[in-house]
Order: sequence, then structure tokens, then C-alpha cells
Amino acid sequence: MLYFEKRKSVSKGLKISIPLVSLIIGVLFGALAIAIVGINPYDVYKSLFLSAFGSWYVFSETLVSATPLLLITAGLILVFKMGVWNIGAYGQYIMGAIFSSYFAIFLPPDTSKPLMLLLMFFGGLIGGAIWAIIPAILKVFWEVNEVITTLLLNYIALYVLKFLMYGSWRNPTSYGFPLSKPFPDSAQLPIIFSHTRITLGFVFAVIAVLLIWFLISKTKFGYEVRVIGDNPTAAKYAGINVNKNIIIAMAISGALAGLAGMVQVSGIIHFLQVKINANYGYTSIIVAWISYLNPVMCFITSVLFGGLESGGYSIQISMRVSYGIVGLIESIALFSIVGAQIFLNYKLRWRK
Amino acid sequence: MRNNSFALKAVNITKKFPETIANEGINFFLEKGEIHALLGENGAGKTTFMNILYGIYMPTEGEIYINNKKVDIKSPLDAINLGIGMIHQHFMLVDSLTVLENVILGLKNQGFVVDKKKIEKRLKEISELYALDVSPDAKIWQLSVGEQQKVEIIKVLFRGADILILDEPTAVLRPQETEPLFDILRKMKNDGKSIIFITHKLDEVMAVADKISVLRKGKLIETVDKSQTTKESLAEMMVGRAVLFDFYKKDKHNKENLLEIHNVSVDSESGIRVVDNVTLNVKKGEILGIAGISGNGQQELVQAVVGFRKVKNGKVVFDGLDITNKSVRFITQKGINYIPADRVGMGLAPNLSCVDNAIMRNYYKKKMSSNFILNYKKAVEYTIKIVDMFNVAVADIFKPIKLLSGGNMQKLLFARELLENPKLLIASYPTRGLDLISTEFVRKQMLKVRDEDMSVILISEDLDEILSISDRIAVMHRGSIVGVVDAKNVDKNTIGLMMGGDRLKDE
Repeated sequence: MLYFEKRKSVSKGLKISIPLVSLIIGVLFGALAIAIVGINPYDVYKSLFLSAFGSWYVFSETLVSATPLLLITAGLILVFKMGVWNIGAYGQYIMGAIFSSYFAIFLPPDTSKPLMLLLMFFGGLIGGAIWAIIPAILKVFWEVNEVITTLLLNYIALYVLKFLMYGSWRNPTSYGFPLSKPFPDSAQLPIIFSHTRITLGFVFAVIAVLLIWFLISKTKFGYEVRVIGDNPTAAKYAGINVNKNIIIAMAISGALAGLAGMVQVSGIIHFLQVKINANYGYTSIIVAWISYLNPVMCFITSVLFGGLESGGYSIQISMRVSYGIVGLIESIALFSIVGAQIFLNYKLRWRK
Repeated sequence: MRNNSFALKAVNITKKFPETIANEGINFFLEKGEIHALLGENGAGKTTFMNILYGIYMPTEGEIYINNKKVDIKSPLDAINLGIGMIHQHFMLVDSLTVLENVILGLKNQGFVVDKKKIEKRLKEISELYALDVSPDAKIWQLSVGEQQKVEIIKVLFRGADILILDEPTAVLRPQETEPLFDILRKMKNDGKSIIFITHKLDEVMAVADKISVLRKGKLIETVDKSQTTKESLAEMMVGRAVLFDFYKKDKHNKENLLEIHNVSVDSESGIRVVDNVTLNVKKGEILGIAGISGNGQQELVQAVVGFRKVKNGKVVFDGLDITNKSVRFITQKGINYIPADRVGMGLAPNLSCVDNAIMRNYYKKKMSSNFILNYKKAVEYTIKIVDMFNVAVADIFKPIKLLSGGNMQKLLFARELLENPKLLIASYPTRGLDLISTEFVRKQMLKVRDEDMSVILISEDLDEILSISDRIAVMHRGSIVGVVDAKNVDKNTIGLMMGGDRLKDE
């Protein structure tokens, strides 16, 4: 009879090899799915890899996709570490985009660039933070489950965005398309490597991850976060103000998701529209988990997922496969990585 | 020795786990009609050995004979079929069902329709035979812990067990319920049943066992007849050295109150009053024992004192300062430290490292951190200091604390609270689950700080502990103080009766 036995401790080697092996298994299953559709899986994977990491230009696109992932994941790591399940990065991202776009759309276009970007920067932070503080307060004072509230606030954020895009923020000259007017140059994040789309936002992302690493591992606040995450009762017993910490951590997490929204509209899209890639908010949840809630690991995982994202777009065109296939590969890979987590805590044994 | 009358023989049993050898070459012989105590400290390998006999583990090496026939016990079902019954420390009963229904639950070969009448008749026979008087129609939740234990025993007997294994059966009982249990065991013995009685309590062994096997570090040290041994020599076998049972207590006369609890009431999370109008004082430099069966409000009372729970009515004054419903941190900083009953659930963050756990009380203080940054170098130094001072056995202080044994976790927790130099230390069950050496150590420490004029509130179910350490003893029952007595002028029996709710007549 096969049965699971709990592991006493997890070695470093295991922590790295288990996701790798499961990723390989996932890739093999993905290959099976691609083969069923009648395409050569090897070609698809090769093309996918080359489209993500094959040249400096495609790699720069991978980093462009990794930027919002890094920002959001950094914040999620903090709240997940304390056992608060913020599923609302999607909505916080949208609110950050809306708040920052307000300045881009309604301030005079000749506002000085530093001032404009500074306002947008804080707009993004504050928009996202507000959207995260609401569920935090509901949780702390009325014990409302944050999984439900953050998730539902995602829909509200999306409809707020739609309301604005079909309503007063729509560009009158957009022929009825739900777009804002284009951002003036003063509202566009500067590009830091020429001939790429990598903007200052990438620097924000790197700083955000390092900041979260510093917070968690070097500060009193980070210590409290870890104690709360492992045992809230012990935290209360140790005299830690659990409620205050939950609100602060949620605010930070929401602010970073909001900043990701700002970086996307200001750096990449250059106007506000209904489709602003808010799905990064969901992908980041997985990125955070696969990084074992470790900020340093999240650099690697974010780049990998960024590659999957940007490479996936390219192979639609080059391989003439539907984006569904890309989604399928992504999902199977995720499924096996997440599914394999059980082997971190348990080992499979055989008993007669 | 009557030959060939072994109910069970375990020959040369060894059980290896990846990291440890839990049992090594154990030879254990159980005669028909005897009560055989298996004595050992936590981690000595008692539970592993029992699990081997009950088919939960397979031994790495060794053979088991039942009635002189070699057997392979691969699962608890095999064990039951071989006539081995196990009474676990935590009962396996369904609360909302009746006694009868619980007995039926595990039965095999009952067909589609269960003949309740027949089973009830058999159940009554068993009850009468061994004085296991419980009504078959009573629901489990209506029964006391002692009665629930009887149901467990009935269940096992019903399945035709001739060998009964009882895993620390008295751990959950009141002192008054222990003796009736022993009577039941003796009755079963006289009826030819063989009983393995697992415990680490020496008094119980001396009271009920015929033969005693002592386990230490996975090995069976010796099997002795009760008539040929003493409590002291058993303790020595268990621990490997002589153990102190009586403590010397300096005479002290303290007048000044350090803590005053005035008419305090506390409600549980579900709004039920669990502490009702309690008034209690703790003097400077005394150890106040709070005795009571667990769940009678002791925890809630002290948790309200330390700020962990809301005081509904009343007032708590500490060192002249009203601390009623102040924050936990405020109260600790004023000089009260608390060792909770539930170490892993409340006192520690099990997945965090020993360092993280060691600094839980002082990480925010000047010596450990500046305004924002925590100085982990100092934290590590502090942890090493605790580990050295209190002999905490730990392989790697950066590994999760849950990897430590219960005793070592408790030592670290105890040290952490003690080193804060509180004026009042509140210790809930500080020696529960500890081995004899750690127990002795913790008790000595409490007496030591008492001599340094620190006050201690000691909550314990272990009456020997309370009586030997405390200056005064308050007994709690159903959320009220039944009485406060001087530890010098009271015996175990009186306290036991008070724990059941009897007030002292001359009070």
C-alpha cells in the first residue's frame, strides 16, 4: 500500500529539486497536449524558449512582463507570510492604474514630467492601498474573511474601470472605443535601456523586492509579521498588535499592486483602457507560492513567468497556435508545480 | 514463574526510524492475568513499542508471540482479531451517539440489520462483570471523562480482547477517579485478562502493577516485580540517576500583596461565564498554587490577568497599579510573565527558529533592536545564552523549534519568561509532559526565584507538585474559588475533594 509519511524537515536540495522535477513533468504533459492538437511539441517549446530568452530584445520583453509580477509578488509575499490571503491584487492593480491615470488624463499635458510622474507614482500607491485597506479593516474589526472580500473587490474595481472607460473618462475621439485619451509624454515613465520597453518601473520593481526582503528579515515589523503568520495566538500572547500589523501589511501589499498598475499604464500602455493586463494580479499569487514566499527566489520565478507570458504571445504569431495552447502549457506547468508541493512536506512510502 | 502462560511475548523488538532508533532489542513478556506497567519518560520509546504491538508500526526486527504462537501484526485489525485491545489517551468516541451506538460502531460481521437487543444484553453483562457502570443509552457528551474511559474499555472488551493496552489512562482523570479505574483493572486481571499499563507516574505503578518494565532511551532496562522494588529505585532506572522528590522550602512570611484580583469575572469566546466573581491575592515572594481539574476557569483567570482576555467585571491590581484590561505588552512590561499551558498553540511559533522563539519577549527592547531594525546578531547571542544556561538540547538554533522535544521546548519557553526577571511569574502546567529531570529542574527554578522574592502562580493538576512547591493553594471549581488553604496544613485528599467542588467545612 502506498502512503504518505510526514517529513520532519525539508532540505535545501529538496526545495529546489522538487519544483524543477515537477516543472519537467508538467512540460512533458504539456507536450502531450500539444501533440494531440497535431503540432510538434518540440518546435513549440523551442520557439517558446527562444521567444522568451533567445535574444536581448526578446529577453527585454520578458523583463517587461516580469516587472508587474515582481512588484505585486513582493507585496503578496509580505501578507502571505503573515497568513493573510490577499487575492485582491487584481483589483488593487486596477485601482492603482485608475488613480495614477487621473493625473495623466486631467492635469495639463505640459505639467513638468517629474511632478507628473511623482503624482502618478503616489496615485498608484494610494489607489492600491485603499483597495487593500478596506478588506483589512473588515477582517480586523468584523472578522470578515479577506479571501472573499478581496476577491469581490476585484470585480468592483473592474466595473469602476469599465464605468469610467465607457463614461466620463473616455476619449471623445476614440470612435466609441473604451479608451482614455493618450497620456502626454510627461506622464510616460522614461525608458532606461534604449530600443527596449524596459522603463523606470523595472527599477521600482527591483527596489520593491529588496525592500520587502529587508522588511521581513531585518526589522522588528518583519519579525512580528513572521510570528503572526506562524501562530497568531502566540503573537497576541507576545504582545504584538496583530490588527495594526495586518492593516499595515495589507496597505503595503495593495500599494505595490497599485504601483504595478501605474507602471503598466504609464510605462507600457500609455493610456487607460479596460484591458490593462490586470491578470498579473492572479499570476503573482502563484509566483509568490512557487518562490516559497522568499523575496530573493521571486526574482527567478518572476522572470520565468514573464518569459512564459511574453514568449507565449510571440509563438501565437510565429507558430500559429492559439493562445489557448499557451494557457494550457502554463496551467499544466502550474498544476504540477503546485501539486508537487505536497512532496515537500510528505514523502511517499511503500508498505506491505 | 509459571511457564508457558505468556499471553504475549515480544522478543528482541527493534524499530528504526530514519533519524533514530526508537526501540532496540526489547524483550517483553506479559503473563496471563497480570498487570504489567511499562514505565518510562517521554521519548523512552513506550508509544512506539505499543504501536508495534497494536499493528500501527511494523518492527524492523524481532518477533511477537501471542499464546506462544508467532504472529505478524500488520494492522490494528490484526491486533483486534488476535485479542489485543488498546485504550488510547484521547478517546475515540462519537460525542453525539449513545454508549451502545459507540460500541456497535466498530463491530464487524453484524449483517445489515444490527441486533441491538443482543448487543445491549452482552454490554450489560460486561458492565456488571467488571463494575463498568454506564448506562447504554447515555450520550457520550453527557458522560464525565472517567465514564467515557469506561466506555472505551467496554468497547475493547466487547471485541473480545484478552490483552488490554492502556496508554497513560490516568492522565485525564481526577484523583478520585483513579482508584475506581484501578479496581476495574484488578477485576479484569482476576478474570484472566492481561493488562499493559503505560505510564510515567511512579505512584500509580506502585499502586496497581504486578510487574514493571522500565524503558529508557529505547531500551528495556529491567523488568522487576513490584514487591522487590521501590519508587526511588524505579525513578533511578527511568532516569539513570537518583531523583529528588522532596524539595526544601525556606520558611518565609510574606504580608505584602503583589497582585490583587477583586471580584473578577471572565467570559469565554462563546459568551459563557467561565470565571465567576473571583477574589484572590498573591503575596510578594510566595508561590500560590491554583489546583483544579482542567477546564474549571484557571486558564481563563490568569489569561485575564495578563491581558490576553477581557475582564468582564472586577479589577486587577498589580503592584499598586490598576492593570485591568490593559494590553498584553503593557502588563509584561510592568513585570508579569506568563508560561501558557498550550506551549505549541500559544507560547511558541512552531515553524520559526529557536532564535525567533527565544526573543519573543524582548525583541522590541533596547538591547535587541533600534527603532526599526532588529539586531539578529544579539538575538543569536541571547538564544545561545538561554540554551547554555538551561541545557536545552538543540541541534541547530536556526531550525524550526518544533523539531525539539516537548521538554526542550518547555525549557526554552520557561527560560525566556524567567530571564525577563518578572515580579510575578504565572506558570500553567509548567511540568506537563516533561521528563523527570526537566521536571525537577523547573520546580527547583520556581523555588529559587521564590527565594529571590519573585512571586509565582502555579497552575497544575499534579497535586504532588502543587503540594510540594506552593506556599498557599487556591482550589478552583466551575469558575469559582472553592477555598484557599495553607499548603503545610492540607493533604492531597482534601484538595482532591475541593477540586470536585466540596467546600471546606471549617471555612
